[in-house]
Amino acid sequence: MPMYQSKLDFGGGGQVLDLETAVKDGILGGGGGVTATGASAGKLDLKNMIEELDSFEVPSVFICPISLEPMQDPVTLCTGQTYERSNILKWLSLGHYTCPTTMQELWDDSITPNKTLSHLIYSWFSQKYLAMKKRSEDVQGRVLEILETLKKVKGQARLQALKKLRQIVVSHSSSKKAMVDNGGIALVGSLLGPFTSHSVGSEAVAILVNLSLDSESKSNLMQPAKISLMVDMLNEGSIETKINCTKLIGNLMEGNDFESEVVSSLSLFVGLLRLVRDRRNPNGLQPGLELLKAISSHESVRSSIVSIGAVNQLVDLLSNMNPECLESALAILHNLSSLPEGLSALKDCPKTVPNLVKLLMRVTENCTQLALSILWAVCRLSPEECAPAAVEAGLAAKLLLVIQSGCNPTLKQQSAELLKLCSLNYTATIFISKCKLTRTL
Amino acid sequence: MGQLCSRHQYYKNEDSEENAQAAEIERRIEQETKAEKHIQKLLLLGAGESGKSTIFKQIKLLFQTGFDEAELRSYIPVIHANVYQTIKLLHDGSKEMAQNESDSSKYVLSTENKEIGDKLSEIGSRLNYPCLTKEIALEIETLWNDSAIQETYARANELQVPHSGYYFMENLHRIADANYVPTKEDVLYARVRTTGVVEIQFSPVGENKKSGEVYKLFDVGGQRNERRKWIHLFEGVTAVIFCAAISDYDQMLYEDEKKNRMMEAKELFEWVLKQSCFEKTSFLLFLNKFDLFEKKILKVPLNVCDWFKDYQSVSTGKQEIEHAYEFVKKKFEELYYQSTAPDCVDRLFKIYRTTALDQKLVNKTFKLVDETLRRRTLFEAGLL
Repeated sequence: MPMYQSKLDFGGGGQVLDLETAVKDGILGGGGGVTATGASAGKLDLKNMIEELDSFEVPSVFICPISLEPMQDPVTLCTGQTYERSNILKWLSLGHYTCPTTMQELWDDSITPNKTLSHLIYSWFSQKYLAMKKRSEDVQGRVLEILETLKKVKGQARLQALKKLRQIVVSHSSSKKAMVDNGGIALVGSLLGPFTSHSVGSEAVAILVNLSLDSESKSNLMQPAKISLMVDMLNEGSIETKINCTKLIGNLMEGNDFESEVVSSLSLFVGLLRLVRDRRNPNGLQPGLELLKAISSHESVRSSIVSIGAVNQLVDLLSNMNPECLESALAILHNLSSLPEGLSALKDCPKTVPNLVKLLMRVTENCTQLALSILWAVCRLSPEECAPAAVEAGLAAKLLLVIQSGCNPTLKQQSAELLKLCSLNYTATIFISKCKLTRTL
Repeated sequence: MGQLCSRHQYYKNEDSEENAQAAEIERRIEQETKAEKHIQKLLLLGAGESGKSTIFKQIKLLFQTGFDEAELRSYIPVIHANVYQTIKLLHDGSKEMAQNESDSSKYVLSTENKEIGDKLSEIGSRLNYPCLTKEIALEIETLWNDSAIQETYARANELQVPHSGYYFMENLHRIADANYVPTKEDVLYARVRTTGVVEIQFSPVGENKKSGEVYKLFDVGGQRNERRKWIHLFEGVTAVIFCAAISDYDQMLYEDEKKNRMMEAKELFEWVLKQSCFEKTSFLLFLNKFDLFEKKILKVPLNVCDWFKDYQSVSTGKQEIEHAYEFVKKKFEELYYQSTAPDCVDRLFKIYRTTALDQKLVNKTFKLVDETLRRRTLFEAGLL
């Protein structure tokens, strides 16, 4: 919904159009563009303009009091209040015979089109729209200029050009199209290579991460030397650079059938784990986990991920995560558990069982599903060790909850099987006592 | 107390010039110790012939005053020695192959060259080589052009022929000239086994001239008997630049002809990584001799080296080269993480592809190294 500002409040009550704005922008007198066709553009469609200027601060008098949207066909009642035609008609057709804002009973059912206001609204929107278009063209011009510069300069000049380009791309969405149309992606991408300095590389990545890349651009950027550079920057850069590199690699992986070898660098995994563990910069957690999840979905790289101690580190982090991140983390662990070394790492980590049990039925159904799957696999691997630990951690009670809840049938079945597995080591009475909920969830 | 006072008296009465000198020395020591703290120590390590000294020479050429004429001339005996050594190795190698190989005839020298061959082989075995004159150069050239020698050279990787041998053979006449002054390139190719430790101090200059960083670079001998001298240098090192010649995967060690050079490099890297004094040291791995690797990979498969036995080639040409390089890089990366204890994982580790003989590339590479080390310093100071 567009925002409207209430400015001056004259003695007569109600709200008035900001006179300063009205005069300055030339809508009222001053020879400014009162008529709609004062501008060089042809007939502009009001509906389109309203849509495109969504973020602008529309003056309050242009807003229909019923829908709080700008009026396209303002009509005035006998009380002098103005509404959008379709809205007031709807109001009246519902049987009301009052003015919605003043609550006065209508003594006259005439509806008069407010031509003056209609003109004003149209002019105001036209002016704003044309100004926006001009700014957008300016932006496109600037983007082109910078791209031309980039083709010629090196060193510090190159760095400065990239910084400017980055500012534009981040703040003006119209610049993105200009980038795509003028080979900007290929150009910036070509700057990434084995001899790219960190400063240039981090600016280039910051630009590319804001653009939507087609599959050709993605293939070009997926070259080993460029990915190597991104991995290096992920390991050495500021938190912003780290997150940008993470997101960019994630974007490049999307939808592409690529050789998973390209993203199977150990340095990448170490860097991502470091990012995820960084308490001082919690906004790295989600992108890092998302990328690890995407990578771990490829079988061939799972053993590398396990080899650098990912399992222990992720299990450790489970205790303090928000639900979104938890799902990603659990998905990663679940992927890793499909590998024998991953599963045994899970079993060997002492916090696996308690942390996972705690998560059951506590967050989303997905989380419960994933946690349960992992627990199931771990307990099956080594029932003597893990099942008792799980039961001590309160697993039995949780499983009963799952079975009694409205979760999907597979989940219930898994819980039942796991419950059976756990009960094998206890007599009936003792086990039942273990099934009691000792703490509130 | 009494003693102190009297000593004071003693000093006062003695030669005051000596006092001034002593004070001056004290002051200098203090200054240098302060300055030392800001100097970053870089250590070039690696197996024999991995390119450490070439990198060292490049840094000298790039960031110091380079070599003056006297220094350039000082390399003439080395270059001549390289020529004699090369031709001797090839001649003796051809003789051995003529005896042992099944298709021995191609390794047999033509009769007219046999005498020259024996003569040069004898010269090459002396302790002091004669100066390379035009006459001897002609004889060497004749021998070099003999088909048997060329056939032997094709299998140079089985002998200990340094690669620079080819370069000098191609430039024989220039080198033999009476007024020869070696070029920078000649000096870079000149091969002498480093023994002991050499150091230089330099400050890289970039676009902003005041780069401020001062580095001290140490070069060492890479052969096995030299390595026991390394340990004395291990304290207080900012970064270790480990050079590994990736084109050596089909060659044997100079000091042990049964050991594959790549395996040696692997074990050495592992050993260096595990040294406790390097717990916080940055590691920069230079995968060197890429130019030779490029050419070799298309003729000799990587699998000849045990470490790379699981390599599978995928295509040909440039793509294959890149693929093979990535494979080697990944192996080193794996090795690094396997040899790094969990509490050392935060130390900096970066891999660079280098060709030490190419000055432009070394310059570019070093600029990146400088940037990385400076960022690291800021990071460790908590400013990043």
